[in-house]
Amino acid sequence: MAAVTTVPEVFVRKSSGLVRVMSARSAFVYNVLTMGLIFPWTYLWAPGALPGGQLVWGILLAMVLEIPIALAYVWLSTALPRSGGDYVFQSRVLGGGIGFTLVFSGFVIWILQWVALSGWLLSSLGFAPLFLGLGAATGSTALVDLASWFTTGTGIVVTSIANALVAMLILTSGFKNYVRLQRVMWVAILVAFATMLVVLFTTASADVPGKLDAFSAAIGGSPTFYQDSVAAAQAGGVELNPAFSLLATLLIAPIAWTSLQWATYSAQQNGEIKSAGNFRDQLFIIVGSLILTGLLLALLAVVLQNTIGTEFLYVAGAGYWGAADVSLAGSYLWPNIIATALANNPIVTILIALGFILNAHQIVHNCYIGMTRVMVAMSLDRLLPEMVSRVSDRFHTPVNAHVIYFLASLPVIYLYSNYSVDDGAGGTTTWTSLTLGVTFACGYVFVGTAIAGALLPFRAKSLYEASPGAAYKFMGMPLVTIVGTLGAIAGAIFLYLFLTKEELGLTSDLAYQVVGLVLLFSLGWYLVTYFVRRSAGINVNYAFKEIPPE
Amino acid sequence: MRLFGKGQRGTKVFYATDVHGSERTWRKFLNAAKFYGADVLVMGGDVMGKLAIPIIREAGGSYRATIHGRVERVTSEAEVEALRGLIGDLGFYDVVMDEDEYTATQADPDAVERLFVRLATERVARWIDLAESRLAGTGIKVYATGGNDDLTEVMATMDRTDTRAFVACEDRAVPLDDEHVMISMPYVNPTPWKTPREDDEAGLAARISALAAPFADHGKVIFNFHAPPVDSTLDTCPMLDATTDPPSQVVKGGQPVLYGAGSTSIREAIERYQPMLGLHGHIHESQAVARLGRTVCVNPGSEYGEGVLRGCLLTIAGGKVTSYQMTAG
Repeated sequence: MAAVTTVPEVFVRKSSGLVRVMSARSAFVYNVLTMGLIFPWTYLWAPGALPGGQLVWGILLAMVLEIPIALAYVWLSTALPRSGGDYVFQSRVLGGGIGFTLVFSGFVIWILQWVALSGWLLSSLGFAPLFLGLGAATGSTALVDLASWFTTGTGIVVTSIANALVAMLILTSGFKNYVRLQRVMWVAILVAFATMLVVLFTTASADVPGKLDAFSAAIGGSPTFYQDSVAAAQAGGVELNPAFSLLATLLIAPIAWTSLQWATYSAQQNGEIKSAGNFRDQLFIIVGSLILTGLLLALLAVVLQNTIGTEFLYVAGAGYWGAADVSLAGSYLWPNIIATALANNPIVTILIALGFILNAHQIVHNCYIGMTRVMVAMSLDRLLPEMVSRVSDRFHTPVNAHVIYFLASLPVIYLYSNYSVDDGAGGTTTWTSLTLGVTFACGYVFVGTAIAGALLPFRAKSLYEASPGAAYKFMGMPLVTIVGTLGAIAGAIFLYLFLTKEELGLTSDLAYQVVGLVLLFSLGWYLVTYFVRRSAGINVNYAFKEIPPE
Repeated sequence: MRLFGKGQRGTKVFYATDVHGSERTWRKFLNAAKFYGADVLVMGGDVMGKLAIPIIREAGGSYRATIHGRVERVTSEAEVEALRGLIGDLGFYDVVMDEDEYTATQADPDAVERLFVRLATERVARWIDLAESRLAGTGIKVYATGGNDDLTEVMATMDRTDTRAFVACEDRAVPLDDEHVMISMPYVNPTPWKTPREDDEAGLAARISALAAPFADHGKVIFNFHAPPVDSTLDTCPMLDATTDPPSQVVKGGQPVLYGAGSTSIREAIERYQPMLGLHGHIHESQAVARLGRTVCVNPGSEYGEGVLRGCLLTIAGGKVTSYQMTAG
């Protein structure tokens, strides 16, 4: 029987204390922004590939299915509040081989694609709409041409490399420089999202065709853009009023998971969160941020559907999927571009674009910060070379890890916009079709951690019993085992859909090969390192294996 | 390089620090020798707990204790024993007392201080006995020093003449094997917490000099200094404002300021003497390995509150660290 006391009945002596830097509220905000309010795929990929699917229900389903995974992270985070993170959770509960293979492949390697995606977002959703909007407002064809350049392969690659390089330089120069920038980024992102919602909320749906036509004319496009687009989509065989499809609605969930699966990312920062060991605070940080973001994404879908109409969303989706020529000077009709076009106001253009530019840039920082930490931890565990964890005397940052990650991202940046291969059926498979591969790969990391949560009471008994979550049981069964199992099942459903439903883009030979090779490479790296280290007297399993106290 | 071989020649040292009274991590520490195949165990200081939890005997025969801000109530003696075990594993001390005794002790700071000294002395003595019994006949030695959070009068308990495995090494030089010597120094540069064993940088430099200067060559000397060298990444933590009680974070531009809280004297000593190895602790959240010239400096960090024993397994031979590995046992 336990009750909360206001004045603890304890004796305290004078001794040093541990102070952590991040409040629960900051961690909550960090999670919301990491989930990427700007990630656009749900709004165009889904209507284009999944006719009859209900966007709002798909997003809410993803949110609900993510909840048990998020709960498993709450238990694990309160059990290991100091070190935390998927790599630690998995390696301690499931063993080093599984932990390393899943996290190295799903995070360290696949998140290189997030570096590429961040550059693509920056170019396509940041700079292109900025110059497009300014071009429309000023009547400058040079600005419109510049906007178009940012949607080309060259524009995306150049922007992506510059994006990654700037992030690397900022982060290697000292974490404090990023912290300064982070505040600006957060404010700008929130302002952009709010501005976009206000524009969509306040535009009457009857005015949409006229406003889009006017914007198109202002950038030198068709003055009957709306009508032309609808006609093009219909000519492309796109059904603009499809019947409701339960399967299509279900398949929207894995796409929305691209955002919502990151509700657990604060666990990587547990060591810096003030009340990381507090169960209620972890619930607020992880589950609370998930629900808020899920609701905000659903709200955007509602507003988008109400303003531009479900029918035109299918037209926009058809443009993205190449079923019809629907774009504004090369830019597909992403929600922010629609809002920019509807407002056709330079200040609104700048406010929205600035937020998207900074959020896109923040994503590459998140990639570097998270992954270089994992790499340093793996290096200290002797699974990556020692030089990876070496810290610069001058900058006090792991410069080598940052430089390695930057260099490794370059080929992925190139491949993402330029690579295609014959699919054997007269068509081609592009690397861009693997966009959601990173959702799949990070997804199997999260499933691994949910399994670690389910097994925590049995595989790390003493750790579990000392944690606050041990108090919660259901019919004698540890609650973490129940939520971890449910989370693993929910995640496994997503993974199954990714591997079997071509609408999600991962059923091509190229996709299977890339996913399989990355996993095999990671397992191979672990095994080779294990034996090489053993020859030098180092057992890498010692980094994770608990010493029996008795 | 030999693949699938049995390992390197040399002395295998397991180093851990900052267990802060945790029974579970001390027991793990003693078992680490067998678990990791280490020849020598080194404890880097801060062995005393920070909190004593009274298990208060209530009028109705039940007991209550406050753990992690929650009041736990138990009735049977077996439950009291289980509670004591949990408290010890968390690194706290326990004391069973009546309501009146608790109130009187809480009101008297000297009585609280005496209580801590008694409980900590008992625990250290028991830990040494445990080391003797667990390591008897193995040839493995365990070297232990205190840190800034430890009281000198409690650490005096370590100076025993009846031990074979346990070696007190505070403020002295001890041989770790046939060729390597370790010097240990528990004091740290001033902290906002005003802990028992702090000294200004000049004082620290003098303490280090007294230990290190007698060696003509430091190529085979290990510095076991509780504080890490300044700005070495072994010492990164939030900057605190010492004018408040308890100390509070320094925030600039809405963000907490992080800085290197280590000692300049220790850094200067390492740069000057260039020992083969620096073993450090003190900053729990700053697990790292760094090289200052030829010296490998290690801070394994600490997770004692979760019962996790963070450590570093090192192989030393011929005045060199031939391998190291961080562990979380």
